[in-house]
Amino acid sequence: MKRRLIKLSITIAVLIIAGLIIYPRFHRWARAHVNSKTAVEDHPLNCLSCHLSTQKTGLLSKLINAKYHSPFNIALSNDGKTLYVVAEESNKLLVVNTEKSKVTGEIEVGERPHTVILNNGNTFAYVSCQWADIVSVIDLRELSVENTLKTGNGPAGLALSADEKSLYVVNSYTSDISVIDLSSGRERKRLTAGNNPTGITMSPDKSRLYVTSRRSLLVPYGDPVVCELTVIDDNTQRIEERKDVESAYMMENVDFTPDGRLALIPLIRPKNLVPSIQVERGFMMTNGFGVVEQKPEGRVIQLLLDEPNEYFADPFDIEITPDGKSAFISHAGVNRISVVDLDSLRSLLENTPYEKLDYYSNHLGISSRYVVKRIPTGSNPKGMVMSPDGKLLYVAEHLEDRISVISTESLETVNTIDLGGPRRITVARRGRRILNNAGGTFQGQYACYTCHPDAHEDGLVYNMASKDMGRNLANTQSLRDIGDTPPFKWNGKNQTIYKQDGMRFSTVLTRNEPFAYKDLDALVAYIVTGIPYPPNLLYNPTGELTEIQKRGKILFERTHDNYGNEIPEKNRCITCHPPPYYTNKSFEDAGTLLASDDSMLFDTPHLNNIYASPPYLHHGLANSLEEIWTIYSHNDSHGTVNDFTKIQLNELIEYLRSLRGPEYYKEDKKLQAKVKPYKNH
Amino acid sequence: MLSCKKSQDEGVLILTKVPAGSYDPASREIESWRYAPGAQIVMVDPVRPASARILTGDFHSACYPEISYDGKNMVFSAKESENDPWQIYEMEIKNGRYRKVTSFKTDCLDPVYLPAGRMAFSRYTENDTVRSAYSIYTGNLDGTNIRQVTFGPYEELATTVLKDGRFLCVHRNKLSENLFPVLEVMRPDGTKADMFYKGGKDTRIISRARQTGDGKLWFVETSGESSGGYDLISISYNRPLHSRINLTKETSGNFNSVLPLLSGKTVVSYCPEGSDHYALYEFDAASGSLGRLIFEDTEYSITEAAEATKYQRPKKLPSEVDMAVKTGLLLCQDANFTGYKPGGMNTNNRMAAMVEILGIDTTYGAVPVEIDGSVYLKIIADTPFRIRTLDKNGNVIAGPCSYIWLRPNERRGCVGCHEDPETVPQNRIPGAVRKDPFIIPVHVTEIKEKTVELE
Repeated sequence: MKRRLIKLSITIAVLIIAGLIIYPRFHRWARAHVNSKTAVEDHPLNCLSCHLSTQKTGLLSKLINAKYHSPFNIALSNDGKTLYVVAEESNKLLVVNTEKSKVTGEIEVGERPHTVILNNGNTFAYVSCQWADIVSVIDLRELSVENTLKTGNGPAGLALSADEKSLYVVNSYTSDISVIDLSSGRERKRLTAGNNPTGITMSPDKSRLYVTSRRSLLVPYGDPVVCELTVIDDNTQRIEERKDVESAYMMENVDFTPDGRLALIPLIRPKNLVPSIQVERGFMMTNGFGVVEQKPEGRVIQLLLDEPNEYFADPFDIEITPDGKSAFISHAGVNRISVVDLDSLRSLLENTPYEKLDYYSNHLGISSRYVVKRIPTGSNPKGMVMSPDGKLLYVAEHLEDRISVISTESLETVNTIDLGGPRRITVARRGRRILNNAGGTFQGQYACYTCHPDAHEDGLVYNMASKDMGRNLANTQSLRDIGDTPPFKWNGKNQTIYKQDGMRFSTVLTRNEPFAYKDLDALVAYIVTGIPYPPNLLYNPTGELTEIQKRGKILFERTHDNYGNEIPEKNRCITCHPPPYYTNKSFEDAGTLLASDDSMLFDTPHLNNIYASPPYLHHGLANSLEEIWTIYSHNDSHGTVNDFTKIQLNELIEYLRSLRGPEYYKEDKKLQAKVKPYKNH
Repeated sequence: MLSCKKSQDEGVLILTKVPAGSYDPASREIESWRYAPGAQIVMVDPVRPASARILTGDFHSACYPEISYDGKNMVFSAKESENDPWQIYEMEIKNGRYRKVTSFKTDCLDPVYLPAGRMAFSRYTENDTVRSAYSIYTGNLDGTNIRQVTFGPYEELATTVLKDGRFLCVHRNKLSENLFPVLEVMRPDGTKADMFYKGGKDTRIISRARQTGDGKLWFVETSGESSGGYDLISISYNRPLHSRINLTKETSGNFNSVLPLLSGKTVVSYCPEGSDHYALYEFDAASGSLGRLIFEDTEYSITEAAEATKYQRPKKLPSEVDMAVKTGLLLCQDANFTGYKPGGMNTNNRMAAMVEILGIDTTYGAVPVEIDGSVYLKIIADTPFRIRTLDKNGNVIAGPCSYIWLRPNERRGCVGCHEDPETVPQNRIPGAVRKDPFIIPVHVTEIKEKTVELE
């Protein structure tokens, strides 16, 4: 017994001594490790906050993450008793009894549903499925999918023709509109729209439809953005007009006043061409709405919803009361609904000369003339629908898994409807809320989402003014699946996402208190785990390459040029862009520096889903993939291509367009084995 | 005589009281306006007024405390003997232990807490060239690393720290007697200084501005609109230049300061008509009416109150200032833009061909304006300057504007010249940034300094 006790004591003593020796070293190592990842010296030492929350796959990931509904757009039955809610993340249409405030049914639809509309008789619902290129047709009597309609790429907004014989589907990724004949279920024609269109609404007189776009049209480099509002004649089903909405983008939705005299469009007025030297005085973004007068020579007027010391980021949807007196605009970035008094607006429009209205489009004080209230909501309010009597407004709180019900008389929230999503808020979910919320930016002027809509990129070039104004213009990069592709930024200065979104981010971009470490960890967790690529249904739906794509792949991987000369290793496409991410994560010089750029090497960008990211190159000058080489590559500075025929260049581009998310290439060991790790100079 | 009445849910109040009769809020002189000799700081539990305790008995004069975010400490300005300059002290409220924070030869007034163990205060800064005035300084609470952050010929006093992390101070121009009172806002490093509120001509702001829980800012202005003349003014944080409401227009007597309590109630320093001293009263902002008397000492005027309780600290804003850099950058998008003009901005034949940058008693030179009206300057930091526009013949078109300054490494933008401050820039590349900035003063051809990349 005594011997055992001695043995035990010695064991414990040895363990304590070992611990005392090992622990300080481990602590020093851990401190150095965390410091290097976070670029600060006081981030809490908590292994779990990085290594657990950032698990993308496997059992741990399944345990710590959760699948939410994320309600996006909604529709309401004619009698106001049934709400149909698009659950974007759970790929469902939820059926909600408004009187009981309860979900009474769930219908599985295609991937990433976007919009739901009902026919006049409320016998059918149509749900666009943006990642499946289909519209699910739901029999509302059976509450089941009755039919599936094939659409263009990325179906978003939906509208029925006046006679309900046709369905208009806004294809957001191919920037066009499918006109589907509902009797045959086939697409009858395709109309071109603006860039990345999403919203569509029929005018009250049922004569035409307005289609709104999110991204700017192609404009000369350095010119302000221009977004298209496409007008379709419902009778002829042809494009009647294309209206330019200048200096504005992210026009997600549109609504008409009941008398048909005005159409209102929430929008953002970016200041990407102004050096980003401050946030004060609206130097980065302003948020407002467009007013389109429905009369011959009708004007397109833009007015702000912001105020001098508070901004209302990311306006998304608009609903106008049946009496035409009020408009409600959801601000996804600040969890607010702005209430606009339309009589005050009409008076302003009638009594103000046009040039003064133009001046008001850049005036932060003007909103006090027509905004009567800001109603708080849950996280990330998106789609809305008004009850038929105009007394209630239903709001999809996208990251709250909830519908809020607002009284349009008292302008207060009177009810909330829980959609039954997971109760716990995971770390990644919290990170997603942070990414979508402008609270991290000074005066709420913009959120991460503003420049990275859908966690992608907005297609704009910004003058970040990090050193001098006017230099080093930078094209916004996508956030999709970037967790494994450090370093970050075009110049690769940030080795981790922590560093990218840490102290410097707050000094240069948000101009606000840096994220608390807990919030930063959550943001990183979301960015690393929660942003997948959409499927590349347009160019590579099954993984089976077409013949032209296969030839392009050969060119991409080639080691010798058309004349049989060996191509230097550093000039082969595959060297700098190997799978699965199509980046070697190294610094390279592609010969693309401008005179206004400081001398630097660039972090090689990844090429997954590259077809969806124009413009290209760090300066955003290449409007298409082709221009990367036909205009912006001299003397084979960006890979050896000068020996290509035009057909070969086309083939290479077709292959590049076929590239999908990295998950499809991780198993290609054969290809990865062909690529030697390249050490750049 | 002390008197007090209280309802149940109020916390401890820390009051400044000054000998009645020595106090003249309308005076321009700091000794009469805010810092009267013999001032004391008193802690009052409104439930037990008899237990009112002087916290600063060791001092000749002490006043205007501000409470730390945890509610445990206060910073205040005091002098230990009559001839001492005012200096900053910090005291633990519970036990009265205090320490001296600053030891300057000139007055240090109106301290406030900043996040992360720092503070700001106003200090009388003697300067041969700029004009001696009270400038704002920031530093650590242990008295180290104290730096000046404002550099205009102005008095910047009675600072408040807004919830968004910026300062708001009462701003008086030393170079002119006859101007409008201004509340100036700026970041704690002195960058982005701008007018927040502008009062009426020949009026004065005589109290700190206090931010309420519902987005308002309250302060006392010598508006002359009521019978007493010193009124409680409310402006909204969101649109301060156009939201002024006089809450006490119909009230006789004079107000001196206001404090919104965390409970939602409001207390004011008020002197009824015919009385010779200010006392502390409840106030109902909705009706503009006075409530019950909270605390009074007939031999003193209660000039200001603070609530000794925990509260949410303001945001800690990052700083772009780098003291190794000698200059700041200023961009004006369009020097011809002053606001809306019928017929367009360019009906005036006199377009700006140049801008001239003026110092206090000198000119720093004139530089050409780009064809789009933009101008891009690299200006010696921490030096006040004004700008005016000139036509091609050198005649003045507009300006000069008020004095501004740039902190080292600050980048600052203007939409136009003396334009409506609620205007945002147009989305276009200013032509001036396609070239290097003009160095100001113009006789300086090169500045060797560190180049800082913020990202």
